[in-house]
This record gives sequence, C-alpha cells and structure tokens, in this order.
Amino acid sequence: MFANFRLSLTWLHTWFGLTLGFVLMVAFFFGSLSVFDREIDRWSLPDTRIEPQPMPSFDSILASRFAMITEPDTDQRDEAAKRVTAPLPGKLTARSWNAYTTHRDPVLLMYVGFEVPNSPLPEDTVYGDITIDPRDGRVLPEDRLALGSGFFYPMHYSLHITWHDLGYWIVGFAAMMMLVALVSGVVMHRKFFREFFTFRPGKRLLRSTLDLHNLTGVVALPFHFLWALSGLIIFAAIYFPVFETSLQPLVDQHEHEEAMHTGLDAKPSGVPGRLASVDAMMKVAKDHWASRGVPGEVGFLSVTHVGNSNAYVSIYRDSTDRVATAEGLHFEGSTGRVIFEDPPAGPIETVNAFLTGMHLQQFKHWTLRWLIFAGGLLSCACIATGFIFFVEKRKHVHAKQGRVGATCVDALAVTTVTGIVVATMFMLVMNRVLPEELARRGVWEKGAFWVAWLATLLHAAWRAPAVLQGRLSKAWAEQCRVIVLLGVAAVALNALTTGDHLGRTLGAGYWPVAGVDLLLLAAAGTAAIAARRLRQRAGDPRTELASIEEAERA
Amino acid sequence: MPDSALLAAALVCAVIGMSWLALAMDVHWDQVCDAPGSRRSIVVLRMLGASSLLGSLVLCLVADTATMAVLVWMMLLALAAVSVAFVLSTRPRILALLVGVSWRSCEPSSP
Repeated sequence: MFANFRLSLTWLHTWFGLTLGFVLMVAFFFGSLSVFDREIDRWSLPDTRIEPQPMPSFDSILASRFAMITEPDTDQRDEAAKRVTAPLPGKLTARSWNAYTTHRDPVLLMYVGFEVPNSPLPEDTVYGDITIDPRDGRVLPEDRLALGSGFFYPMHYSLHITWHDLGYWIVGFAAMMMLVALVSGVVMHRKFFREFFTFRPGKRLLRSTLDLHNLTGVVALPFHFLWALSGLIIFAAIYFPVFETSLQPLVDQHEHEEAMHTGLDAKPSGVPGRLASVDAMMKVAKDHWASRGVPGEVGFLSVTHVGNSNAYVSIYRDSTDRVATAEGLHFEGSTGRVIFEDPPAGPIETVNAFLTGMHLQQFKHWTLRWLIFAGGLLSCACIATGFIFFVEKRKHVHAKQGRVGATCVDALAVTTVTGIVVATMFMLVMNRVLPEELARRGVWEKGAFWVAWLATLLHAAWRAPAVLQGRLSKAWAEQCRVIVLLGVAAVALNALTTGDHLGRTLGAGYWPVAGVDLLLLAAAGTAAIAARRLRQRAGDPRTELASIEEAERA
Repeated sequence: MPDSALLAAALVCAVIGMSWLALAMDVHWDQVCDAPGSRRSIVVLRMLGASSLLGSLVLCLVADTATMAVLVWMMLLALAAVSVAFVLSTRPRILALLVGVSWRSCEPSSP
C-alpha cells in the first residue's frame, strides 16, 4: 500500500491527527482550564469567594445535611429506570454517604449513593448531591453552575455527550490515537532531533508552522504521552469493563476474601444500626497522621452501609503533600474502633495511583500546577499548528483543483482553536451579565457557550471561501479580535458586578479571582498580537507567492 | 534555602543545560558562532549540558518529594527547551556567553 514504513506512519499521523485532533483540542484546552477549575468556580460563583475550609464537623453539620439528600439526581434516576428489569421503587435506599474537599475548596461537595434494585449491573449505584458552605452548613443553590468543575472539567473528558458514555469513548479513542500520533510523529520528523531547538518565525508560514508543531510536540513529548496515557488509565474500567462481565465471579470471590481480611463487609447486614461520633473518628485519624509526621487534613470521608449495624466509616488523608491519591483509615461505624488501615501500596497500585494523581492534581504545589497548565497549552499549540500545516500545505493545490478539503479543515480549525476560546470567554461574560435570580441560570450559561461556539463555526464557514482561493481566512484575525473584546469585557464585568477588581484582589492576595482575571487579560493580549500579525501577513503580497512555492516544494 | 529558590535555581540549571546541549548541535552552534565547533567542544558541551540537567533534578529532589520532583523536573525541561528555542530564534548571540566566547569574536549568522 505504501512504499515504506515511514510513509505509512505519515499517512496515519496526518489523517488520524486531523480527524481526532478536533477532539484532542477540546480535551487539552478544557483539560488545561481544569487545572484551575476550583479557581474558575470562585470567579463564576462570587458568593463562594471565601478561603478554603477544612472538613467540617460530621456530627453537628454533615449528618443532618446527608439526611437531606433523599433521592438521586433526576437524570441519573431516569437513566437507571431504563436499565432495570422491574420498575424502580419511589424511594431508593441510601448505600453510602460521601464528602469530598481539597486544599483549594471553600465549599464542600456531599453526595449520597443510592442502591438500584433489579439492575443487571452489579453494585449499580446512582447519586444525589448537594454543595454546602462548610462554615455553617448552608446548602448552596443547585441551579448555579460552577463553570470550572461543573462544565469545563466534564467537557475535558466527556464532551458532555452522556448517551451510553459515548463522550468517554470518543475522548478515549482520541487519546489512544494521540499515543500513536506521538510515536508516528517522532518517526516522521526524526531529522528534527538533529536541530532540536529550531523555530524560525521569520520564515514563511508553512515552515514556521511546522517548526512550531515539531518543537511543541517534541519538547513536551513526555507530558503529551503521560497525560494521554493516564487519562486512558483513569477510565480503563469503562473501556474494558471486564470486572462487570467476564471477571464478575472472580470479583465476587475477591470481594468476599477482602472483606474477611479487612473486616469491611461488602454487603449491608440488613439490621438497623447507629453511628458513633464520626468527629471522634476524624480526631483519631488526624492524631494518627500527626504521629507519622505527615500533613493531616481529611480529604475524603465516606460512610458505607448507611443505617446498618455493619456500617463503616472511611477517612482519607488529603493529597496536599504527594502525587498519589488514597490513603485511608477505616472505622467500625457503631463503635468508632479502627478496623483496618490501608497497607502500603504494591508496585502496580503505586504506578496506578501516581499516574491517576498526576492527572487529577490534588497536590498543593502551585509551581507544578502552573507548569502542567503550560504543558496543556503546549499540547494545544502542537495540535493547532498541525491543523494550520495541513491547510497551508494543501490549500493552493486544492484551490487549483476546486476541491473543498482544505477549506473545510480550515473552518473547523478556526472553530476549535479560536472559536473554543471565544465560546469560553462568552460563557464567562454571560456568567456576569445574566441576572442572579434567573431561574435555571446554569442552563442559560451552557446555552450561551454552545450558541457562541456554533456562531464561530458559522463565521469560519462564511469566511472559508478565501481558502478556496488559496488565501488566508479572515476568520482567524476576526475571532482573535473578538477574544480581545471578550477577555477585557469579562474582567471589567467581574469588577463591576462583584467589586472584586484586580486592584482589590491583588492587594488582598486573593489569587483565585486575580489569577483568572490575569489569565483573561493575558489571553486577550496574546490574541491582540496574533490579530496584528495575521493582518500584517495578509497584507504582505510576498507571503502568498512564497507560500505557494513552498507548498509546491513540500 | 526556601523551596521557591531551589525551584528557581532548578529552572536556571535546566535552561543553561538545554542551552549547552543546543550548542553541542552543529546547526545551533552555527546560529551562535561563525567559527566551527571542534569535536572536543561538542563532547564538553554535551557533558556540561547533561550535568546541568542532572543538577536541576537534584535541586528538584531537594525541594520536593521524589514523585513530585520528577514531575516538576520533567515540566521544567520542557519549559527550558522552549525558552532556548525562542532565544535561538530571536537573540541567538546571548547563548555565546555560555561558551565563554566574546560577542565580537563570535559574529552570529542569521537564524
């Protein structure tokens, strides 16, 4: 089929990179934003602009709030109703109570797992959740959307396509092909290693774009590889659900033996029981961590078999000082006695916990957090320059032949590179413009994002005929100008509607909001420079001629 | 020494190390200096570059736990490599300082 192995890899890299690059762009762009999801939450929910809080008292606050969560989210219940073999009862039984916080959370997420009876899936569970102010237990309004953790983060791994987990599968397939694209890219551009640090911005667009594509791809190669791989590992159970299918008997046996070993019953006893003081258990856990000389705040608290005599409480140390997650103490619910402490992880578990923790980034290390954010932007730059190179290499040939391939790719590239930033910033602007008392405010904000993104696609398609004539689409520069306007507008609107202008937030050292404002201004500044360069390039008559010659050589 | 100072020093070591490794490549050496580099200078530059990157890793390990330090170092290397590439594309003669060559005696060629 191909003359040699390298040409086969070139085909693979080009076409899989192109088709899945659009998905990868979304995954990496929103993944980068998710590095600061809690900070974006604070920006979008001004009522929660308070300092991070430790896990509050279970006995006086959390227990009563858990009791308020009496049913799962409607969406989850409706989905469960479709997969059960008999109608769901009106009231589902709570299986677990869970509360989760990090060193960056001023609010506390609480969720209850409910048993799904008559389900073909083992341990089928649906969830209901609330978010509270941990200082006084006040339940926060449900219809307010936390843009960072509630929209950008799920977009990163699921594209918000929930039907049969299709979004997870699309992103997973794209991540797997990214691993292939990285290997094939290294083979294709192997000569690059002899001129590793080459970037020639003064050269023509085709050459400088390829330089930047190679540079951003290679210098951050370990980052690209590890993050794509760890993303796949996190959702491995979805992609390979063997534990629920062919290995189910083995899982049941292991669960039984583990329960015998740890004393943590796998099934509820069915006999009513009461909980001892969980606050006392938290104190025991903290004292235990203090005796080991490690930071000791509670990050995750879980009560399993709620209301049963064999209920147990699991308390996990937060992950401020390490990459790996999960390190728990388990208590007998009725007495508060320590039943079991998680033993040191084995080699496979350690690697898994490291890769998972690296991807989820619950550690307290702001330098590393910023470096990972920069790594995500390098990935975006690598993908974007791949699109531009594809178009620049083909547009003149396609123009001569009257083919629309390069034109379509250019329109989609504009939509996924500048369009995605426009839609994100428009969502932030709408977050500050929509009335606070507006019912289902979050739905309006989500709608604003999708409408803005669709508008950028239509705009790119409208400007695309220029590519058909072998010229640069004006959509790139125009959307860059929109980014400038939206970025400045978002910062100004935040100052006007909340009073938290940069002078105040920087003065007070309140970095969650100041950081988002500064990033918005940095994005606006970068877009302004890009718009200016694009205008200069479009106005230079030598550019097109040289571009044609270079494309023909390529 | 505070962790932030250690990490700043690690970044400096990474940038210097990447610069030395860049200068050990003919194409980048030519960007910085007209005079051809000798075989010996290439070996020395490679050794200096590798040592500096190793020094960067040691500083990261002093500042953080091993698992955290490895990640910080990996990302610092990427940042350093990009920085060196941009320096070479805009002000390549700056790197001449790292080989002890005076600016006048090492006229840069165009990037």
